[in-house]
Amino acid sequence: MQIINGKTQFEPPVIHAENIVKTYYPGTENELEILHGINLEIQRGEFVSIVGQSGSGKSTLMNILGLLDRPTKGSYFMNGENMNAAPDKALAHIRNKSIGFVFQNYNLIARTNGISNVELPMLYAGMSPRARKERAIQLLEMVGMQERMDHTPDELSGGQKQRVAIARAMANDPDVILADEPTGALDSKTGHLVMDIFHRLHEEEHKTIILITHSNELAAETNRIIHIKDGEIVPA
Amino acid sequence: MILENLKLAIASIKANKMRSFLTMLGIIIGISSVIAIMTVGNSLTKAEQESMSSMGANNIMVGVYSASDDSVTLPTFSEENMQSIVKAYGNRIKAIGMESQVGSGTSRSQVSSDSKTTSVTVDGVNPGYFKANNISIIKGSTFSSSTYESGSNVAIVSDVFAEAIFGSVEDAMGESVEINVDNNYTNYTIVGAYKFENTGTLGTKKSTTFFIPIKAAENQLHNSDIYGFTVVAKDGSDSAALAKDIKTLIKKQIKIEEGVTLYADSMQSYIEEASKMLGTITIAIAMIAGIALLVGGIGVMNIMTVSITERTREIGTRKALGAENYQILLQFVTEAIILCLFGGIIGVIIGVSLGLVAASAIGYAGSISIASVLGSVGFSMAVGLFFGYAPARKAAKMNPIDALRYE
Repeated sequence: MQIINGKTQFEPPVIHAENIVKTYYPGTENELEILHGINLEIQRGEFVSIVGQSGSGKSTLMNILGLLDRPTKGSYFMNGENMNAAPDKALAHIRNKSIGFVFQNYNLIARTNGISNVELPMLYAGMSPRARKERAIQLLEMVGMQERMDHTPDELSGGQKQRVAIARAMANDPDVILADEPTGALDSKTGHLVMDIFHRLHEEEHKTIILITHSNELAAETNRIIHIKDGEIVPA
Repeated sequence: MILENLKLAIASIKANKMRSFLTMLGIIIGISSVIAIMTVGNSLTKAEQESMSSMGANNIMVGVYSASDDSVTLPTFSEENMQSIVKAYGNRIKAIGMESQVGSGTSRSQVSSDSKTTSVTVDGVNPGYFKANNISIIKGSTFSSSTYESGSNVAIVSDVFAEAIFGSVEDAMGESVEINVDNNYTNYTIVGAYKFENTGTLGTKKSTTFFIPIKAAENQLHNSDIYGFTVVAKDGSDSAALAKDIKTLIKKQIKIEEGVTLYADSMQSYIEEASKMLGTITIAIAMIAGIALLVGGIGVMNIMTVSITERTREIGTRKALGAENYQILLQFVTEAIILCLFGGIIGVIIGVSLGLVAASAIGYAGSISIASVLGSVGFSMAVGLFFGYAPARKAAKMNPIDALRYE
């Protein structure tokens, strides 16, 4: 709830998951239930970490929260809208506009320079080439990549690649940034630099950020920690 | 979006130069062989058309032939047949040329004190023969109607003959030549000279051909059978229709035995038939060459499948960033089309060069078939679209999370 113009208004949470179950190979011998009913709510402006060991189901959860995968059971609402019934095309649209992904292995497009990589979500959003480029440069400057923005990924270090990836995640000013082990492939010093950028995005731009990690140390830097173990949310 | 896809496609082709080139090679070989064959075929057709047109595009050949081996008597045509044609269709006719191939023999002429003997061929013709067969009289004139009708002993010789025997065309005029065909000796006075050429009707004759009036051939050499004649339609009149009318008219006038066929064919119909036949042969060979193109297309499909498998994670990333299925489809289809288009353009350049060289090697002026060039470029793009579509669709339909997780 928030108060706008003296009136109390109800703003739905950015993320609201109700009893999410994910089963792989349902109905076969190899049937495997990874998530056993996750209930989760994340409000606008939160910096939340989802912590768990590998195999805990945190990546599966992130894929569902990021609309890359659909839950087997349960309901998932984004900004109050039920995503269960949305067609693939609508999900692509929402991923484009409302979610910014930061992956452990960066997933930058090879042989394509930093600017073009950052422009990509804006290209899919149908922005004009000029506006795209302007914003891409602005974002790359924000993450401190102004010196090397016309370099291709193979000319960049891990930390630099991740900074380009963060700029790309910010391209369409998303409602939520989903960062999956963003420092997992980096040394601790570079990892801290990347974490600093997330803190800045959270504090200065008031971005909602979900950090998926196995590191309690990194999680401790966030406002709220959600522990996940064997496909269930457990108390700390 | 389209521009972006073009940039992406070119970047991707450039990134794997060797692989792109090998893929294009199939298209290059396919297109260049099709184009080379089409160019040779086109050159041949054009040369054939020109050679036939030089014989007179408005000409109608009328004649008889026997298809059977049995000895049949071929009917002959007469002056009366020609007159009836002129009477009936004169307004559609420019000239009628009749020819009776008398035979070969020798000529003897007295030049100063020397007597020169040459082998000659004697043809009895009518005055219209020269016009009908595009033979130009460069000195003197064709037979006047009085000399023609009386069957006077006059002759028209070639410039080559006149120069060889008399020194010049001018000196040959009025000179007398003794002709011996089958021991019939007759003296002829030269009244004109024609320009000998290696093309058209004269191309089938020798420069020692003597033209004399048909009646003269009949009177003195006792041989004036006419087995065929040429009618030249006036420009703009339908020569095929005229040919049909003449055939109907002649059929009533002469007796045609069993096994003998009367024909009246317009040159136009020959040209069309010959072009059609050459065209069919060209297309048949080009289709065989097209198999190379098909193999090339399968190569493109193969490479696109590899390229997409290699870039599965990229596809996943693009989908995570909000690319819709059609955008992924468009990206890879564009890449396949561009790849094939490059191959096609290179193939056209090689094919045209090969075709022109081959055409000139067999002695024809090269003629590029524009339609086949445009068709090939278009077809190579269609190959890209067709063979690129299936792999691209597979990529587009991929589940984003499966694509992202792909190792």
